[in-house]
Amino acid sequence: MAKEFTIALAGNPNSGKTTVFNNLTGARQHVGNWPGVTVERKEGSYLYQGYNVKVVDLPGVYSLTAYSLDEVVARNFIVEEKPDVVVDILDSSNLERNLYLTVQLIELEANLVIALNMLDLAKSRGYQIDVNRLPELLGAPVVPLVATRKEGNGELLKEIVNVFEGKAARKKIKLYYGSELEEHITGLEALISGDEELSYQFPPRWLAIKLLEQDKEVLQKIGGNL
Amino acid sequence: MVNQCMPLAMVSPGEVATVVGVRAGWGLTRRLADMGLVPGTTLRVTNSQMPGPIVIELRGSKLVLGHGIAQKIMVEV
Repeated sequence: MAKEFTIALAGNPNSGKTTVFNNLTGARQHVGNWPGVTVERKEGSYLYQGYNVKVVDLPGVYSLTAYSLDEVVARNFIVEEKPDVVVDILDSSNLERNLYLTVQLIELEANLVIALNMLDLAKSRGYQIDVNRLPELLGAPVVPLVATRKEGNGELLKEIVNVFEGKAARKKIKLYYGSELEEHITGLEALISGDEELSYQFPPRWLAIKLLEQDKEVLQKIGGNL
Repeated sequence: MVNQCMPLAMVSPGEVATVVGVRAGWGLTRRLADMGLVPGTTLRVTNSQMPGPIVIELRGSKLVLGHGIAQKIMVEV
């Protein structure tokens, strides 16, 4: 029996998630639906280096806040089903906007592989992206991709396994919110860390930030624990 | 020349404006921020007709807003 693990594809709408999905899974994908909601979810799998890798294509979102259904679906999958690896697919020709989601995934403490897709388009628009510096700044491996031409696919497959096996160079990035907010974040974080169940379910710092944002979904979910 | 502060809905197509603030509730402010519309952002109005949505370009992407929302976004031209 092949060993199994699950990866999720996350990214802004139109960043090439589905193209990457098709590249990874080939003809073995099938289309399904999330129970109860109308947001499309695709699942597939592939074999690589003795692993059977299950791939979940999440709806395209700009952020992981909780006001639209697709965002909730994407976030809940990452928070609750805890995929072993999250591949964050970026449109390199629009990095600034795309990195916003990346930052949220970093805060969620997902095991990230960052795929810089559409690098050819970025180059033709005159952007120069320092692919060697990004992993250091983001604390996760970065793979340059041109998914439509399957360029970088092999590298992506390799990095996914590396991250799963814990071999990739990773660094915990902490985003600093300024002394005024940090005081409250740290206070809440300490309280959450003291609760065994909560700190098992959610990354404590992330939960602290969401509580300060008064995120409706999160408030509802932990309402019973307070 | 003195810069004028006005709702985004009043900006004519083709004009470039800088966001001064969003006069809305927490949810909408957050939503717009998620899409890159925060104070200090420069944007260009590409289409604005009455009735009909307002199309703006910011940070290399296009955003379509209803007039109601565009009334709540204060910009400087």
